Amino acid sequence: MPHDVTMPQLGMAQDAGKIVSWLKAPGDPVTKGDALFEVETDKATMEVEAQASGFLTGVSASEGEDVKVGAVIARISDSADDEGPALEASGPAAPEDTSDALPEGKSVTMPQLGMAQDSGLLVSWQKAPGDVVKADDVLFEVETDKSTMEVEAGTDGYLAATLAEAGENVPVGQAVAIISADKPDAPVHRFVASGGGAAKAAPAAEPEPAKVQPAAPKPTTTKPAVQSSDGRILASPKLRRLAQEQGLDLSRLVEAGHPQPYHVRDLEVLKALPEKSAQATATAAAAAHHLVAKTSGDALPGFARWAADTHGLADTDALIAALAGASLPNIQTVAIERLGTSTTYATPDGCTLSEVTQTDDAPDLILRDLRGTTIRSAGMGTDIVPIITITQRRKGVKLTLDCAADQLDAQAAIQLLTNFAGRVEQPLRHLL
Amino acid sequence: MREITLSQAVNEAIAEEMRRDPTVFLLGEDVAEAGTPFKVLSGLVEEFGTERVIDTPIAEPGFMGIAVGAAMTGSRPIVDLMFGDFIFLIMDQLCNQAAKTHYMSGGKLSVPLVLRTNMGATRRSAAQHSQSLQALVAHIPGLKVAMPSSAYEAKGLMKTAIRDNNPVVIFEDKLMYQDKAPVPEEEYLIPFGEANIKREGSDITLIATSSMVQVAEKAAAILSKEGIEAEVIDPRTIVPLDEATLIQSVKKTSRAIVIDEGHQSYGVTSEIASRLNEKAFYHLDTPVVRMGAMDVPIPFSPALEDITVPTPERVVEMARKLCSGEMIHAA
Repeated sequence: MPHDVTMPQLGMAQDAGKIVSWLKAPGDPVTKGDALFEVETDKATMEVEAQASGFLTGVSASEGEDVKVGAVIARISDSADDEGPALEASGPAAPEDTSDALPEGKSVTMPQLGMAQDSGLLVSWQKAPGDVVKADDVLFEVETDKSTMEVEAGTDGYLAATLAEAGENVPVGQAVAIISADKPDAPVHRFVASGGGAAKAAPAAEPEPAKVQPAAPKPTTTKPAVQSSDGRILASPKLRRLAQEQGLDLSRLVEAGHPQPYHVRDLEVLKALPEKSAQATATAAAAAHHLVAKTSGDALPGFARWAADTHGLADTDALIAALAGASLPNIQTVAIERLGTSTTYATPDGCTLSEVTQTDDAPDLILRDLRGTTIRSAGMGTDIVPIITITQRRKGVKLTLDCAADQLDAQAAIQLLTNFAGRVEQPLRHLL
Repeated sequence: MREITLSQAVNEAIAEEMRRDPTVFLLGEDVAEAGTPFKVLSGLVEEFGTERVIDTPIAEPGFMGIAVGAAMTGSRPIVDLMFGDFIFLIMDQLCNQAAKTHYMSGGKLSVPLVLRTNMGATRRSAAQHSQSLQALVAHIPGLKVAMPSSAYEAKGLMKTAIRDNNPVVIFEDKLMYQDKAPVPEEEYLIPFGEANIKREGSDITLIATSSMVQVAEKAAAILSKEGIEAEVIDPRTIVPLDEATLIQSVKKTSRAIVIDEGHQSYGVTSEIASRLNEKAFYHLDTPVVRMGAMDVPIPFSPALEDITVPTPERVVEMARKLCSGEMIHAA
């Protein structure tokens, strides 16, 4: 298989190179990697190596000659006497398949558009086969990695052959068109894809639009359901601002089971939610219990130390959950909330301190522990379950219970808070 | 209107300013006979001679120092730094001298200097000739940074830079030198700090610099077919930055992707995204997303190099996610 030797591109904006000297003579055996010839560019003289082994034949450029980048200047053949077809030094490589006669003329090749790209996407033809063309007429458009560029004919004449179809990738240096001096009898139209231009006068196929994306549907409201692990509503800053300005409550979207995260588009959904739910919230808020207990001391820290030292129970929150869980029989799970964190514990009736475990179940009671913060009093309204807020006092703590009337009746609410306050004051009660 | 290449536009800008002002001169490696490896300056030495188009030895710190001194003493040098990657060699001259002299001399000295250099990957030039280092200089107070996105911007920004009394660094994308754009015959200047809204849209803002403007425009065209109208904004100068236009757009669209070819971490995209976050927070409906070059040395392998830079397809994919309300980084 003979191998073409071409003028390489060695500089950045180089379009031709001068052959300084041949380092092999025609007929010489060459091994892949041997230096074949020397080229001089703007900046340097470089040796060009053979890309194949064989014999150097068909040398068509002589020393001192300027040769266009990509032009074939010799061949490496299987035998020393294979002269091969004499190739024009000035013309770039013709398509390999020349079995079908192509019109005579000057080839226009796929240019290397200032970068080391190896092929260009032919976007569109600006001239049709048979058209008269002037040297500075735009012949076709090429798309590379970054841009689309117009390629000019470079010579006056007739577009005698187009050798690639719009939408095809053409290797750099390969002939794309032939421009003849005389009006062609039968202009030729070929594809690259059909084997270097073998299909003759193929029906002019619709130019394939380059890489058209399948039209995706207009964004819809379907989206994967996401939920924040700490119960915080996931909503965009803009939506939060708009909701606040319009007095809308985002938690209603949560109640309605609308998937998070929420964006501005969900505002419409929120506005469309039935008013009933708002009224229900209002009624519930009206019929809510709000109880406050104050203890004279806070025995929890000491109790926690004792439990850790003597029983190895290091999780203070688990202890508090146990105390709260035991304060009312039907509370089985307690969530302890602190700044930014929330942990839920299972506190089955009659369980001992060491039997309290973490759980993923929804809590029956929320304990919001604000000790250690600067907040001294809190009445933040009802939540989805009864909520006890613990705040620090100068001596002791303040316990605030908020719950809706349908969550706990008055008796149960009083019992819960009294029992819990007692346990905070004197944890030993729990053990008795 | 006639169309010329970015390379011709830069050449015209410099030639016009050299004709207008005899104190303007050019220096750098291969700027005279060779006209730079990208042939941007071809023909200038013929018109202005070797007194004003000066070939230097391969000694970046040396000729940058010469230029700073010349600027301080009344000339307006244009320094040609062959590759943006070589900026590491002239950091002291640029960042400690040029950027600070006006301040440290109490305003008695100024450094009207233009450093023109390049950026941009996918040229198979490997890790030391492919970087986009605009963030490095944008970080230094006292330097202005322009990033032309077409021949039109390249000419207008270059002329403004030459007339500016402060050091200006211009990054041209080395893959765009042959890209053509309409450029008027008559003289024009593009003021610094004025962003250009390339395309109006209501659903998402794509803020892009230099060659990434093309990427954003291609992405916008694809998105438009899907019913998503993207607004494409080219800041044109990243220092000074036209924050007002960017914020105004984001207030309208509530979403933004910032695209720049520099490395993503600690980069231009990060800075712009932060400003939007600080100043348009309550107007954002989705996180502001950065898209820069991967945080890796730019590979020589073409297959690898191509995936290190933002592409229209990846911008489209991200814009689709944002517009459909998908969670970008799960909470």
